[in-house]
Amino acid sequence: MSTVPLLSVRGVERRFGVGPTAVHALRDVSFDVQGGTMVALVGRSGSGKTTLLNVVGGLDRPDAGTVVVDGTDVTALDEDGLSRLRRATVGYVFQTFGLIPVLSAAENVGAPLRLARTPAAERERRVELLLELVGLADHAQQRPAELSGGQQQRVAIARALAASPRLLIADEPTGQLDAETGLSVMSLLRGVVESEGVTVLVATHDPVMMALAERVIRIQDGRLDAEPAGSAPG
Amino acid sequence: MIRLPWPAVHWPTVRARPRADAGPLLLTAVVVAVVVLFAGAVPPLMRATADQAVRDAVRQAAEDATVRVHARWEPDDGPYGGRVRDPYLAETVSDLRGMAGDELDPDLRAVLRPPIATVTSSTLKITDGGIQRTFQLGYLGNDPAAGGGPGVTWLAGGAPRPAVPEAESRIEVPYGAPPWPVQVGLAKPVADTLNLGPGDRIPLVDQRRRTKHVVVSGVFAPTDRDDPAWRLAPWLLEPVAGVDGVGSTRFAGLLSADSLPDARLAFADEELDRTVWFALDPEVLTRDSAESVAANVVALKAASASSGVRDSSLRWETRLDAVLRDVRTRIAAANAQASVLLVGVLTVAILVLLLAADLLVRRRAMALTAARQRGATLPDLATELLVESVALALLAGAAGLGLVVAVASGISWRWAAPVILAAAVATPVLGTLTAARATRDRRVPANRTARRWVRRTGQLRRATLEVAVLAGAVAAFTTLHQRGILPPASTAPTGPGPGEDGGATLPASAPALGALVGALLLLRLLPLGTGLVLRRSLRSRRPLAVFGAARAAVTSARVLPVLVLVTSVALASFAFTLRATAVQGLAEGAWRTVGADARLDVNLADAAATTALAERVAAAPGVRQVVTAQVTDNARLVADSTLVTPRLVIVDARAFARLLAATPLPDGPQFDRLAVTGGAGGAVPALVRSADGGLRPGTRLELRRADGPAVQLAVVGTAPPVGDADDVVVVDAAAVAAAGVPVVPNTVWVTGPGAGRAVADRTLGADVLDREEVLAQRRTAPLSLGLLRLWWASITMLLAMGLLGLALGAAASAAQRWQTLTRLRTLGLRPVDARRVAVGELLPPVLVAAVGGPLLGVLLAALTLGPLALRLLTGQAVDPTAVLPWWQLGVLAVAPLAAVVVVVRVELAARRHRRLGEVLRAGEG
Repeated sequence: MSTVPLLSVRGVERRFGVGPTAVHALRDVSFDVQGGTMVALVGRSGSGKTTLLNVVGGLDRPDAGTVVVDGTDVTALDEDGLSRLRRATVGYVFQTFGLIPVLSAAENVGAPLRLARTPAAERERRVELLLELVGLADHAQQRPAELSGGQQQRVAIARALAASPRLLIADEPTGQLDAETGLSVMSLLRGVVESEGVTVLVATHDPVMMALAERVIRIQDGRLDAEPAGSAPG
Repeated sequence: MIRLPWPAVHWPTVRARPRADAGPLLLTAVVVAVVVLFAGAVPPLMRATADQAVRDAVRQAAEDATVRVHARWEPDDGPYGGRVRDPYLAETVSDLRGMAGDELDPDLRAVLRPPIATVTSSTLKITDGGIQRTFQLGYLGNDPAAGGGPGVTWLAGGAPRPAVPEAESRIEVPYGAPPWPVQVGLAKPVADTLNLGPGDRIPLVDQRRRTKHVVVSGVFAPTDRDDPAWRLAPWLLEPVAGVDGVGSTRFAGLLSADSLPDARLAFADEELDRTVWFALDPEVLTRDSAESVAANVVALKAASASSGVRDSSLRWETRLDAVLRDVRTRIAAANAQASVLLVGVLTVAILVLLLAADLLVRRRAMALTAARQRGATLPDLATELLVESVALALLAGAAGLGLVVAVASGISWRWAAPVILAAAVATPVLGTLTAARATRDRRVPANRTARRWVRRTGQLRRATLEVAVLAGAVAAFTTLHQRGILPPASTAPTGPGPGEDGGATLPASAPALGALVGALLLLRLLPLGTGLVLRRSLRSRRPLAVFGAARAAVTSARVLPVLVLVTSVALASFAFTLRATAVQGLAEGAWRTVGADARLDVNLADAAATTALAERVAAAPGVRQVVTAQVTDNARLVADSTLVTPRLVIVDARAFARLLAATPLPDGPQFDRLAVTGGAGGAVPALVRSADGGLRPGTRLELRRADGPAVQLAVVGTAPPVGDADDVVVVDAAAVAAAGVPVVPNTVWVTGPGAGRAVADRTLGADVLDREEVLAQRRTAPLSLGLLRLWWASITMLLAMGLLGLALGAAASAAQRWQTLTRLRTLGLRPVDARRVAVGELLPPVLVAAVGGPLLGVLLAALTLGPLALRLLTGQAVDPTAVLPWWQLGVLAVAPLAAVVVVVRVELAARRHRRLGEVLRAGEG
């Protein structure tokens, strides 16, 4: 096991608003995540899960502390640096899928590769591979509206993996899916950790997802709870 | 009977909604108020402009607008076989004024100034030399209390006296007696030119070479040169060239009330004309009163005695009815133009209001759906929305109409009502439909056939609407081309404002409907274009193109924004083209009227003086060319045994050709033919132009002369237009002189940048016509100025509404756009690229409007220019060809493109504080 964590969060603080009405979304959050693991971030609504994911993925800036992803200090990056980070290192899976309606499944998956200016032939091969991986090779030319919710989320996962990110951030990816579909999506995420060697940080309420994760981090009122026994830092 | 329940209005919701959507509602209110102000103010302003135009036309028509009444003299045969002198003849003439006034309809009398009676003799010849000089005796009776005529100061001698002592004032003179002596007064310029003074006898003969005994009693100067009486016989004050034919100069002597009875005896009945002149008072004339005045004049002329009647009954003559008919036609044309612009502005305004309602309903879609799901019926929701929108439309409309009262002297409800109505019903209809669709049992049928059926039903509905618009446009264009824009003659005079003529609205709608049809066509083509671009961009190596094209494919499918943008740009381009064509037409008209940069109409009686004047002008700085000519209107020529009265231009042909070549006026390529002397049978070569084709090459013309043999003219080619005359004959001065006809130039054409300054010298003793002044006068004429302002106002309104439509359309799609862009940002899209993608998304419909709009506008102008009768306003002889205002069309094309960049920047600024992370959870942009 590598001793250098893929993700290192140290003393992160995030506050919304000022004065007496200010909300402390994150308070002195610190943890490490080793590469190639799946970590579940668990907590009640409003506990700070999404804020933490945003800060880790560079979608939001902390008021204090540092976030290092694959050796890069995310908090020190400017907008262009963050764009490069999101293009190459971090992938996202949204609860609302976040697909572009007018593009087909294949074109949605290929979107990050276009942004990375990947040559067309290589892009097509990669898209084909990823659709195969998520089990949607037969639906490549269908548009999001023609796919079910589970299929859309699979396309979203394929898209998040397209640029071969080191870290995949998923915010309640099964939140809008039924139990059976959710389970298949979870299994898929678990599978990509193993097949692609990607590190997955997933916010969830789902016990099944927690069970699939190597490690569960609990957050409450912006603070991390002590991790349960047996849930070793991944 | 089923009793339907009253809709249950939830008043707290009705009160709360406007607070939540204050921005869109305020925007709608502003649009309604401004368009109502425009639509409500234009008709009364056009009415006021029409009144001014009528007054202006009457002022310019001068003598043509006067009403004249002639009456033969009562017999003066005496009991002893002679003619009896009537010492009270001036009173009789004065009585004629009153009698004529009594015959006038009160409506007509109300707009006429006090009458002036004149007595004028036939034209006599002065027999003192070779130059053709004519003489006329004239009596002016405008104010009996002041001695019968306008005030004069006697510089030498005195007023004309009776030829006999008072005791013999009723003397009977036998027929065949020697010429009866008459005394006249001469104005100083007349006396000086003729070199006559008090007591001198003027050497005169009549047309039959009979001597007349006319003696100068004194020399006078007018007390007031501007006295309207002098305008009826200006030759009483100074010699006037050309009145009695080519090369002639008319002089005149003033009769007094005392010498008038002697003039009666000195001339036969038919040689002495008595006339009463009624001049119109333009200030009391309005367009509406002009209609009744014209009708009265027509009735008066119809009841007039004919010229063949031998008694003293009244014979009415005037061209006032024609002058009023002409100005009413031009007013109708101007009103028609205004109607076209109003329909265009209202069409775009209604589309903008629909778009604003669409945006409002989109914002409220969730709330309306929720209300419906909580049990609100559709009538409940419709009533709530109706209460709000009716209140808004009425308040905004009232504000607009209140402003109308401030700027105009009346309100036109007809054009304001559609805007208020559209604002009142658009939101309730769209809102109710949205609520109904959102809560339908089956939003999307599960069955594929049913889905196809639903899709085809929607397509059919849209196609039906498009066909309806197309049918309307075809009907409007057909009517416009078949009937023209002017209302039928029977209704033209009664129309109180634009389009209020009971039938001109359909043809006036042609450009607006044409623009709508064009916009619908482009709308049909747009998805094909964006689809093609998307397919190409998918193969492109540029990553941004595909995202912009993908979003554009969605955004471009929205109908209303594209309709608003294309229609507004097309109609603004149409208005710009019409305006440019009219401005160009006015300029061409001024060139045609003046014939050069400046023109001098000379009253000098001899050629040498005119030549000296021309040389003096030519020496002025900035003068390039000076050409003299003898121009005679209504010259008497015989064309193949038919009398014609064209404008005869005797000019140095080569110089005239050079002058025309240096101006925008049509050239005279056949001037070389005039240089050939000794045409067929020794005839003088001539170029001709004829409106009705009566004069053409090959025609043999004969120039009749009073003091010499007729001159034969051989038509050798076509003349260029000279001034506003329909028929023109141009001959070379040298050829005419060689034929023995004395040439006395009376016209000097001047070109060059200093022409205006060179002729501005009032000591030149000539009437000056400066092209710049003529153009300025025409541009500031009431109808022209009113329309030019209306064009600008309409263009501003159309452009503003087009850009507003662009902004509203962008606002309606902003949430989806930024949601997509934010998602793309999470995939690594840079902020600057996000801006570019947003611009790329909004660009296709704007590009279509920027390119297609001006083209469509120019096409509409080309299709409607003839029927719109623009020539009636520009004074051109034929329908003008469309003038393309390139830079204005460029502005119209660039403005929406620039607006896209601004819109995107504004959207970006509005979302500056939204964190990317929000999209992870809520998916909101």
